[in-house]
Amino acid sequence: MIKTAKRATVFALAMLFLAGMALAQTDPGVQSASRGTGATIITTDPNGFLPFFQDGQNRFNDIESVSNSPSNNNGLGPRFNSNQCSSCHSQPAVGGTGAAVNPQFSFAGSPVAPKDSTPYFITANGPTREARFPFFFNANGGVNTGNPNGGVEDLFTVSGRSDAGSCSLQQPSFNAAEQANDIIFRIPTPVFGAGLIENLDDSTLLKNQVNNLNNNFGIAGAFNHNGNDGTISRFGWKAQNKSLHIFAGEAYNVEMGVSNELFPQDRPLPGEDGNGGSGLTGLPSNCLNLTGTGYPEDTSNPTSTPQAAVLDDVSAFANFMRFLAPPPTGGVVLNGQQVSASTIAAGASLFTAIGCATCHNSTPGTTQVSNFVPALSGAPVNAFSDIEIHHMGTGLADNVSQGGAGGDQFRTAPLWGLGQRIFLLHDGRTTNLNAAIEAHQGHGSEATNVEENFDNLSQQQQQEILDFLRSL
Amino acid sequence: MRCVVLRFLGLGLFVSFLAWGQSAQRNGGDFSNDTHPVTKVPTGVILVKGAWSSASDSVTPVPEDGSVTNNVFRDQYFGMTYALPRDWTEKYKGPPPSDSGRYVLAQITPGDSFKGPARASILITAQDMFFTPLPATNAQELINYTKNNLQADYKLELPPTQTRIGGRPFTFFAYWSPVAELHWYVAASEIRCHAVEIVLSSRDTKLLESLMLDMSKMEVPAEASPTAGTGGGDVPVCIKDYASGENVIARVDPVFTEHRFNPVPVRIIIDKEGKVKHIHFLSAFPDQAKAITDAFKQWKFKPYLRDRKPVEVETGIMFGRGLRPATGNASVE
Repeated sequence: MIKTAKRATVFALAMLFLAGMALAQTDPGVQSASRGTGATIITTDPNGFLPFFQDGQNRFNDIESVSNSPSNNNGLGPRFNSNQCSSCHSQPAVGGTGAAVNPQFSFAGSPVAPKDSTPYFITANGPTREARFPFFFNANGGVNTGNPNGGVEDLFTVSGRSDAGSCSLQQPSFNAAEQANDIIFRIPTPVFGAGLIENLDDSTLLKNQVNNLNNNFGIAGAFNHNGNDGTISRFGWKAQNKSLHIFAGEAYNVEMGVSNELFPQDRPLPGEDGNGGSGLTGLPSNCLNLTGTGYPEDTSNPTSTPQAAVLDDVSAFANFMRFLAPPPTGGVVLNGQQVSASTIAAGASLFTAIGCATCHNSTPGTTQVSNFVPALSGAPVNAFSDIEIHHMGTGLADNVSQGGAGGDQFRTAPLWGLGQRIFLLHDGRTTNLNAAIEAHQGHGSEATNVEENFDNLSQQQQQEILDFLRSL
Repeated sequence: MRCVVLRFLGLGLFVSFLAWGQSAQRNGGDFSNDTHPVTKVPTGVILVKGAWSSASDSVTPVPEDGSVTNNVFRDQYFGMTYALPRDWTEKYKGPPPSDSGRYVLAQITPGDSFKGPARASILITAQDMFFTPLPATNAQELINYTKNNLQADYKLELPPTQTRIGGRPFTFFAYWSPVAELHWYVAASEIRCHAVEIVLSSRDTKLLESLMLDMSKMEVPAEASPTAGTGGGDVPVCIKDYASGENVIARVDPVFTEHRFNPVPVRIIIDKEGKVKHIHFLSAFPDQAKAITDAFKQWKFKPYLRDRKPVEVETGIMFGRGLRPATGNASVE
């Protein structure tokens, strides 16, 4: 009898526990149904840009070699994070962010990077990443917090490749950096709809900024600026890049090691030219001009046909990104059940009411008149971002400064396409929306009060917000 | 035998040299072989800052120095003391002041031991009225602007109403979100040319009412006290745009060389002789702060007289690019 009573108690407690679990809000997770993401924005094409989009997409998929590529895709390295744009920008379609299977995990020991080791933070099913050391090491190997670094430390080298001659390079000291707490990560930003963001004029963004100041959440915000002309820069995790052209040129050089018309030299690591007392004076001579054809490795091709082929790769990449349509919204499946449209609509209203949309502005404005295609003219930019940089506090800070953005400031991540993203936040630290929302709260974060509002909602309301976010 | 030993030694040396050649790691820059470092980058500290707040001295109070200690919020600059409800705490500090002159002075929430049907938050902010791009010249107008420009998701519960808290005039209004079932109670008062706002939010209106009652215990400067903005004693009088026109006898503009495109709002205190006594950078890069500091050494103002006696003046100057003013209606309707 006593045993029966005990069992009943345990059963009742277990049911209560399970009921509690059922009540807790659940991230619906990555929505797998095709939404048509990755298509072009071009519908009418009076100026003939569609072939440029297609050509750019093809080049985005090209695999780069160091030299002797039969398809003439040369220039990789001597340091790189990957050998193909679309290997990092692939989820849920070409142009997106990191995929479920990390291509970087297979590079070390393969013909891609035969002499290298896989860094400890690269795993088979983890986020595709780049790494940065916020501070340089001293000549004695100790970290120097008085000497900020912050540049990309490429993960791999061309050492030992059959197309790289005698070039032999050491990978950055990732393990030592981990021990010194001197390493941060970034994941690829998706570029769907990037042409719309590029075509927002500064006046629209400035007007939106001032309107957003009328809030009772403690949110302000600022813009990052191009250091040359002073206009608002807008691409990258800290809005450090002005245009898609510059964004592409820098990524080609930094992530793949391909010198180009915007960045004409091979790029050493941030300290490889002597900073921090390494004694190095740049890349060794046997790691330069590995194509054997001089610099830049990517150039325009004046005699090529058709017209799109005349462009250099960087311009072709920029066109591909520029003409990618914004990611369509879509239905949401939670625990095998289709979420109702009314639930998603309720989540959208809640998202605005509690203050999320102060920064993750559903539409910061409409685009200026475009000289490219009509679809980029006068179009609403439903990016769920104000394109401003905000203080995000110590929990998210990475101690990396880019342009005018400090170590704790990040661009409001555009949320369009969020429903099909796997890894979240700038470093891909989580795959769970709840954790990503929670991370907005912290010492020095502008989003703390809004996150508190989220916590103050009922679990059902919180669920509606999560459902809404996965519809984007 | 000797030959064998030498060969062995030679082979050993060769092998060890090979091993050294393969495994030797550089130190410095991006390389380190220090896998047990004595010095580590501290966690939870922002060492690399962008535009940030700073001041020419650490003695003169500045708004962002407010803090919660022993369950009491104190801000010496504003002369505010606010005893928080029991078990309420500031878990997270606010961000630095913005380049539009907005401060988050404190964000207070119930502690883990709080028991109630719903949580709540107390947000204490200040808007420097010298730098707001919103069309408001005082706290009351700022509240009116907020109310007149509430998003469609919100419903007004109480229009801006004049009240008194701690013996000081406040403008109070309330609104709510039917969809979120969250209510916001906002009380604002003008202190030292800032609109100091206390924003309470919760789903539980009874809790909000009790928090409002609690606020009556808040100590704020009396309407006529020097700290309220009229100046006197150790506190300067605050005057908008004092650093302009005939008030400025000598002026040398700072030259920005590194960072040039951000707004740099600066509050200064001018002493009785017309020299800059204190500089508070709300948001500036270090190179900008230095350029402005160097320039101010050469500024000279006409002393401000009250009853024919010079008094200290606090005013604001926007360097760099100011924000574009908003349009809109801040009038009482």
